[in-house]
Parts: sequence; C-alpha cells; structure tokens
Amino acid sequence: MTSTDIESSTPLPRPVGLLRRLASDSTVLIAGGILVTIVAASLLAPFIAPYDPYETGYAPFIPPAFMEGGTSEFLLGTDQQGRDLLSRLLYGTQATLLTGLLGVFFGGGAGVVLGILAAYFKKFDPPIMRFVDVLLSFPAILFGLAIAAVIGPGIVPIIIALSIATVPDVARVTRSTAVVVMSQEYMEAGRAIGLSDRHLIIRYLGLNCIGSVFVFLTLRFGQVILIGAALSFLGLGARPPMAELGMMAAQGRDALFFAPHISTIPSLAIFMIVLCANMLGDALRDALDPRMRNM
Amino acid sequence: MLAAAAISASLAAAPAIAQSITVVREVDSDRYDPHRSTARAASEVLFMLGDTLVSLDYDMKTIKPSLADSWTVSPDGLTYTFNLRKDVKFCDGKPMKAEDVAFSLKRWINPETKSPVRWRAGKVEDVIAKDDYTVEYKLTAPYSELLYQLTQSFAVVIDKDTLAKLGADFGVKGFNGTGPFCWVEWTPRNEMKIKRHDAYTWGPPIYENRGPAQVQEIVWKIVPEENTRLAALMTGQSQVTQYIPYSGFRTIRSNPNTKLIESKEAFWTYFMGFKIDKSEVNDETLRRAMVMAVDQGAIAKNLYFGEVQPAYSYISQQALDWNPKVEADLIKTNLAEANKLLDEAGFKKGPDGFRQRNGKKIEPTFYGFTGSTWQKLAEAVQGDLRKVGIDLKLQLFDATVVWGKLATQEFDMFGMSYPYISAGDALNLYFRSANVPTPNRMNWKDAKTDQLLDRGMAATTDDVRAAAYGEVLEQVHKAAVWIPLYHEPMKIGYSAKLAPIKAHNIYGCGLYKGLDIKFASK
Repeated sequence: MTSTDIESSTPLPRPVGLLRRLASDSTVLIAGGILVTIVAASLLAPFIAPYDPYETGYAPFIPPAFMEGGTSEFLLGTDQQGRDLLSRLLYGTQATLLTGLLGVFFGGGAGVVLGILAAYFKKFDPPIMRFVDVLLSFPAILFGLAIAAVIGPGIVPIIIALSIATVPDVARVTRSTAVVVMSQEYMEAGRAIGLSDRHLIIRYLGLNCIGSVFVFLTLRFGQVILIGAALSFLGLGARPPMAELGMMAAQGRDALFFAPHISTIPSLAIFMIVLCANMLGDALRDALDPRMRNM
Repeated sequence: MLAAAAISASLAAAPAIAQSITVVREVDSDRYDPHRSTARAASEVLFMLGDTLVSLDYDMKTIKPSLADSWTVSPDGLTYTFNLRKDVKFCDGKPMKAEDVAFSLKRWINPETKSPVRWRAGKVEDVIAKDDYTVEYKLTAPYSELLYQLTQSFAVVIDKDTLAKLGADFGVKGFNGTGPFCWVEWTPRNEMKIKRHDAYTWGPPIYENRGPAQVQEIVWKIVPEENTRLAALMTGQSQVTQYIPYSGFRTIRSNPNTKLIESKEAFWTYFMGFKIDKSEVNDETLRRAMVMAVDQGAIAKNLYFGEVQPAYSYISQQALDWNPKVEADLIKTNLAEANKLLDEAGFKKGPDGFRQRNGKKIEPTFYGFTGSTWQKLAEAVQGDLRKVGIDLKLQLFDATVVWGKLATQEFDMFGMSYPYISAGDALNLYFRSANVPTPNRMNWKDAKTDQLLDRGMAATTDDVRAAAYGEVLEQVHKAAVWIPLYHEPMKIGYSAKLAPIKAHNIYGCGLYKGLDIKFASK
C-alpha cells in the first residue's frame, strides 16, 4: 500500500451533489425556509421588534390582531404584564435558539471527544463508556434543578444541564461510528507508516466520523430546545425580564382560559422550531445514508 | 334474605361515607406537633385536633373563651389566671385538667423542645396548675400580646401520656388532643385523616354549633398543582379548599355547583423589603421614589384578576392597633412624582437610560422565591422600576435554598409574605434589632423602635399598646423600608352541597375549628 492510497481514501464520504439532492426535497425547502426565517427574525430582533420587550404598562391581555378585540398596534397582543408579545417572541426565540445551540455545541463537542478517545484508545474505552452510562442515567431536568439550586437560575445553568444531557448520546454515537472507522485498513496503514496519534485522530478518525455525528446533532438540536424550554417552563431558566419561549409559555398559564394567546404563541414557536429542526435532520440523514442514496 | 340484610346494611353505612369531607391543599407539614410545627399546613390541622385556652373571633380582634371559661389579669399585667371548663375530654376519653394545660404550655416554652416560636409565649416565669381547673400564667414582664398568642396553634393543649408513649413519633404517628376532631392516620405528603370527636361540646362561642362537629371525617389531601386543585373542587373530589389559583375564582363564582366565601379582613401581606444599610438602597429618597414607582393597583388587577387588595401599608388597615395617622404618610403610586424626586436628588440618567449614583448605575439585587407567585410579582416590580430608570436584578431561588440565601447580607432587596394577627405581632417580628439578620432582613436597627416595641409589649392597657405600636408604624412607613405589594384576603371555595361556611383568618387557616362544616340539608 502506498501513501497515494491513503490520500485517495480521504476526504471521505463527502457525497457529490448533496446540496442539490437536499434542494430538490420539498420538505427540506419548507422546513429550512421556516427555520431560516425564524433564525433571521430572532437575530434581527433589536431592529424589527416594534417595542421594547421589557416595557410594561401597555394594556394587558390584548388579544392578537387577527382575533376579536385585537389591534394592529400589537400584532400578537400583549401579555399579563402589559408587554408587547411580538417583541418578546422575537427576543425569546433568540434566547431559546442560543441555549439550544450552545447546549448542542458544548455537549456535542465533549461527547465527540469522549467517543473518539474511547474508540481510539482501547484502554480508555471501559472507563469512558461507564462514565457515559452514569451520565445517561440522570435526567436532564434533575441536572437542571441541581445546578440551578447551586448557582441560581439563569441561562448558564440551563446550558450546562443541556450540555451534560447531550454528552452521553453523542459519545455513544461517535464511538460506534469511530469503531467502524477504526477497523478500516487506512487506519492500520496510517499507524504502519508511523503517523502520530494526533494526526490519525484528527485527520482520519475525526473527519470520517463527523458526518454522521453532525446528522445526529441536528436531530438532537430539536430535543435540546425542548428540554431547555421545559426547564425554563419550570422556572429554572432565563432570569426575568429576559424573554425565553419556555418561560413565556409558563407565564401565560394563569390566563389560559381567557387570554390563551400568551401561552399558545410561544408554545407554537417552540413547536415550529423543533419540528423544522427534526425534519431537516431527517432529510439530512436520508441524504447522507448510503443505502438510501443508492435507491 | 341474607342479600337483603347486606343491602340494608350497606344503605345504613352509606350516609356515614357521605359525611366525609376532602380538603385539598398545596403542601404538607413535616410533623403535627403544636409546639414544634410552625407551618400553616400544620396549624390548619392542629386547630381541629386540639384546643387553646382562648379563641379568636372572626374580627381578629376579640378574644373569646375556649378551654378557659373566664380569665383575669392582675393589675401589673404579670399574672393571668384562667378558669377552665370542667367538661373537657381528650380524644381517648380522659378528662382534661389544669396540669395538662400547664404541661403543654411549659413544653412549648422549654428550650429543649426547640420551638421556633417560643418567643410568642412572652417572658414566662412559670405556668402553674393551682387546682384541677385553675391555671396561673406568670410573666416576668408584662406582655400585651399574650392572649392573642395563646389563640395560636402553638398553644394547643396535648396529652402528656400520649406524648410519653409516642416520644419522637408524637404528631407523626399519633396525637391526643381535646379538639373537635381526632387523629386517624397521616401519610406524609399524601393525606391526613381526622375523624369526629363525638364527645366534643366545648367549641368556641364564635360558632353557632359548639360541638360535636357535623361531619364524620375530614381528609386533608395534598395536591401540589393549583389547577388540579381547582379541578378537584369543580368535579366534587374535594368539597372545600382555600388553595385556589387566582384565575379560578371567576370559575367558582359562576359555577352553580360551587360557592366562594370571602373574608374582608386580609391578614397575609406580600412585600418587598430593602436592606437599608446596603449602598444600593441606603438613600431614603431613592427608596421613596422606588416605592412610588410601583403600581400596586395594576399588579392586583393584572396579575391577580382584582382578587387581592393593593397594599400601601405594611399591615392591613383592619388589623389590631393599626394607626390611622399613618394613612397620610402612605406612599401612593405616582410615576411622575417618583421621577421628579429622583431628578431632584441628583440621580441622573446614564447613556443606557438607567439612573446613576456616584457614576455607578443603580441596580439593586433582589432575592426571592422561584415559582409562579414571586416570579410574576418580581417581574412586575422590575418593570415598574425600569420606568424610573432603576435596573432591578432578580435572583429567584428554589424553596429549598431560598431561606438560607435570605439569611445572608448578599442582597439589596428581598420578597416575603407573612400572616399576622396584629400590629404588634408583625412589628415585633420584623423590626426588632435583635432579629437581624433574619427575620429583620432590612437591618433596621433603631434604639427608639426597640424601646417602643418593648413598651408596646409591656403595656397593660389597650391605649398604651396601640400608641407604642402606632408610633413604630409611623417610623417605619416614613423611612420607606418596604414596598408593600398586596394583602391577600381569605377566600374559600366550597361545594354547593355544603351549608354556607364562614372564613376565618387566624394564621391563614380559613376553616379554623371546622365546626360549621356540614352538608346542606336537602
């Protein structure tokens, strides 16, 4: 085996025409379109929000403009503290997406490192995987409660809880992918020609795993958002007056019978984000899965 | 034949089952020992399991007889002599004597009992059973609050033999009192079952029915979720409860199967306190402006659907020894005036719109409870304070850690709510310098206040007591040490199948002795 062979087997299953295939899928177009709009709107919140999201004192419980009693001044109505719901929704989406992204980023990062180390260094495999099993047995909500009790509620404990909750699944998926890659001849060849562990792990093992892990993380993103919103719903999340979708949904509970929009609108936003993220993840997996591709 | 007998037997038993009442509530107590439990959840049950020497009328001001038929107070205010009823029996049938009363009260005071509310008994020299039916309560200093404190569940008389038998399990596995109901079984965090004390005839005169109780059994059931409690009442799983979400009162009023009883007196007050020696809030003008900025009316209307009373005073204006002179000093909502006060005092707005003091943004830290009540309350105040350029930072903690956090000096403001029976009760708790750092979390240390509180406590006449407490009320209201938020009135929802009941306010226990609970006659 020559070094050319090694080079030719990288960069790895980067399927040609992936984007084109994704673009021809109507689900991807719809879900992606919605998600891009949501993300863009939340990023632009400071510029497009009609009111200060923290400004109280407008009339409370105004229904959305499209409902009876609504006014075009407040397109989505006001909440029980008399704040503009649309402005809060835009800022709240920003916070929710950010907690989800950071949770997936940190948790996913740690999970990938653990999974790859476990697969590459056989002696680390048992301790790492048992540690992961321990993590797996703690529900994220419990972590959130414990962390919030120690450092006080806020965005940070939520992100920590979400990250920890993401680690075990990602580590397991990464390890199983990495174990397959490890059995490839090019890994053995790399070792034979004396490539350093670092080089092998990053350039060959890591890059070969990242595709399927990325798909997994996309799917995981929706779940993380959901757990984050649940924690925030329980009052462990964002610190008032900061808007966060789960918290907004919780705040509207008291008024559910006569001002349902306060709770349902943020809940719908969570639903849309999670649904679109899941659909995109599914489509991405289908597009990357070689068996599906051959069909 | 046999079947017919069985049917008739079950028919006979049916009314007894129908005589059971389920009361749903939010939390349980850790135990039901009158001298060691201070939770409202414990008092609710203890008022029914036991009796006190004297009772409190619905007006929260008049002391009425209970175990004591009559009593006299010596002119120096140091000796109270109680003449006991002779017909009182414990649940196990044993007659109650003066020595049981003396034993119970001394157990409350005994430092070994570790009662958190020992101070409520006053400075006691001794409690003596003069004869079988006379009790002498001797003080080392006069204590004008004594009779009011003796109406509380902490002064419930218990049977010492049962206590000796159960030891640490007293109030956990059993109880023996003289109340209208007797202990059946307690499963912690689930339900407390009590049954009628059939021999009971010595209820307080505030009740038309002085005994025995008119239902066979009361089951106190824990249902933590407020909307589930409301649903339990609406569907008839529970017949009576005072733990109803604010959004549910409207439903209860409009539903023909449920009724709502409201008491005008509201003796449970929600407030935010300032730690007055912290650099963020040690300026009196700043505090006045902050109090002025808060819109209690809007809070009551928007967050509580108009079901609570906006509070501008630190105690209910209906409470014993409220000082009407303070009324002129109460700080009412006025946003423009608040901004003017701050402008004049030189708290200029910085580039971010928030006011500054000595070049530093004014951002007091608030510590409070997490959960639906304080979250929205704190957020509303935060919103109001933003309008005058003050950036309140909220830190809300879980119930398990918040008490520890509130005992520190880390915060500038805190949120709290409390029940009280009188001005003296409230002021002695919160404004004594000896009570720093908790419950005097304001760090209010004032020699004159302490002196007046002592004078009020030692007063032997109503006038002297009212004058002393009245002056303290003036002092603390003028210094703007609290932002009063609202007074929570007692409201009890109950099934239309029950005869009308009356709500009491004692320690926030709306059903008090439960002697008026009965099914309406068809």
